[in-house]
Amino acid sequence: MVAGSRGDERAWIRGAQSGSVPDLEALFKHHWPRAYRAAYLVVHDSGAAEDIAQEAFLAAVRSLDRFDRRRPFGPWLHRIVVNRAIDWSRSRALRRESGDAALAVVAAAAPPERGHEEPLAAALADLSPEHRAVIVMRHLLDYTPGEIAEALGLPRGTVNSRLRRGLDELAEKLDEDLK
Amino acid sequence: MRHLDRSAPGEREAGERTWEVVRAAFEERLPSPRRRDWRPFALAAAAAVVLAAAFSPPGNAVFGSLRDAVRGDQNAKPALASLPAPGRLLAESTSGTWIVQNDGSKRLLTGYRDAAWSPHGLYVAAVHGSELRALEPNGRVHWSLGRTGRLANPRWSFDGFRVAYFAGRSLRIVNGDGTGDRLLTRDVRPGPAAWQPNTHTLAYVNRAGDIEITDVDKRNGNAIAQTRAAPRQLDWASELKTLAAIEPHAFEVFSRRGPRIGGLDRGIAQVSAAAVSPDGKRIAFVETRGGRSTLQLTDVLGGPTGAIFSGAGTFANVGWSPDGRWLLLDWSSADQWLFIHSPVKKVLAVSNIRANFGADSTIAGWCCP
Repeated sequence: MVAGSRGDERAWIRGAQSGSVPDLEALFKHHWPRAYRAAYLVVHDSGAAEDIAQEAFLAAVRSLDRFDRRRPFGPWLHRIVVNRAIDWSRSRALRRESGDAALAVVAAAAPPERGHEEPLAAALADLSPEHRAVIVMRHLLDYTPGEIAEALGLPRGTVNSRLRRGLDELAEKLDEDLK
Repeated sequence: MRHLDRSAPGEREAGERTWEVVRAAFEERLPSPRRRDWRPFALAAAAAVVLAAAFSPPGNAVFGSLRDAVRGDQNAKPALASLPAPGRLLAESTSGTWIVQNDGSKRLLTGYRDAAWSPHGLYVAAVHGSELRALEPNGRVHWSLGRTGRLANPRWSFDGFRVAYFAGRSLRIVNGDGTGDRLLTRDVRPGPAAWQPNTHTLAYVNRAGDIEITDVDKRNGNAIAQTRAAPRQLDWASELKTLAAIEPHAFEVFSRRGPRIGGLDRGIAQVSAAAVSPDGKRIAFVETRGGRSTLQLTDVLGGPTGAIFSGAGTFANVGWSPDGRWLLLDWSSADQWLFIHSPVKKVLAVSNIRANFGADSTIAGWCCP
């Protein structure tokens, strides 16, 4: 990841707003890793994570002229990423319920992308997308519960309870794995 | 918890691909006074590259060997004895759909048309009269679906769970096992439709001639790509997650969210067919001008073209082998198919296509080792 201060970020946004590709590239390189990781940890599908993070950056490009550069870019980007990742996970769950298993004869079974993962990330995949999202925002992206509540449009109490419940479930799963 | 902040699978490659798309979208949105129009220079440079390739000694050798390779019956085999790369072919004619195995043996599925392979080549979706059918290559029908209106162009999603097809002037979706048939839209021009790899996202051309890109399960968040002319063919490039649209005199490349990110305008030449390579990086297209056709190859986002083969008359279609090493060119005017190794090292020509496959025969797909 490219190191960058808030001052750097403001300069990149100012440069990108006036048409500088190198400034846009610096902004992209600074924010891509965490945007992609956040999407991946919620959806656990590298193709979908790429789509989600890419859509967020394209949305940023489209809104660049209107963006207030006094505000930090990361929270705005992460809000799009995490909300889209939750939507994607919910829609995939619905699609599974509609009976796609019966079609397995037509499609080759795609191996889940789990073999390479750290135990923590693998355990995270077993939580609901809503629980994954708050844990990723808190512990990967370092947002406070208040900031998470604002980004996801949830009451702060709901964020706190999801964090607590998600972490408890995670601890249980990791304990089981270690036994 | 710090373990979460580690590289995720595919992070670097996805970042490289996404940066290309983001940069292209950014350059597309820049106000015109800031942009210099490099297209005349790019076209001149591309022409110079083609001319240099054609008239340099190696270029002469390539063009010469290609001419030699298809000159007369002594070089073209009278029948297709085998395919030069793994996989099976679908070919269509007025008699029906042919399945051609790797060893050249073939079976006619009488009365079928508009056939397409399922993702792994286990099944074929094809139209028979007023029915859409899914059948095995040996002809055994798994399911069929009757619909009013002319059925056309079934296309299987890459996971096999959805099939898109046209019924009259509407676009419909059915599950891969024949259940759950439903209307997707009536705002469509029957013809091209393409599934984005690894998604249930479908691109099609609306009545206005623009491309709509939609997740057929969610039915929201449609993206619209505005085209210069209504595309006649759509093809996704999986590597860059971009969509190539083949128009009468150009091809354009769009990001999956709609912005145009590349393409080539071929002026007065007619672009009649194209195919994106299996790795999604290159596009082969046929252009025809003044009664002569040329097979061109270029990067999927556009740029300099390389002429691969040129001949009199019409090239009806072009396709890639599943391993991306061969191009199959349907030289319909010469009644020949050409298997061209890419990069050009070898050309295998097969003649008597009409005698062997029937009138109006053409290639419909090369699938699945």
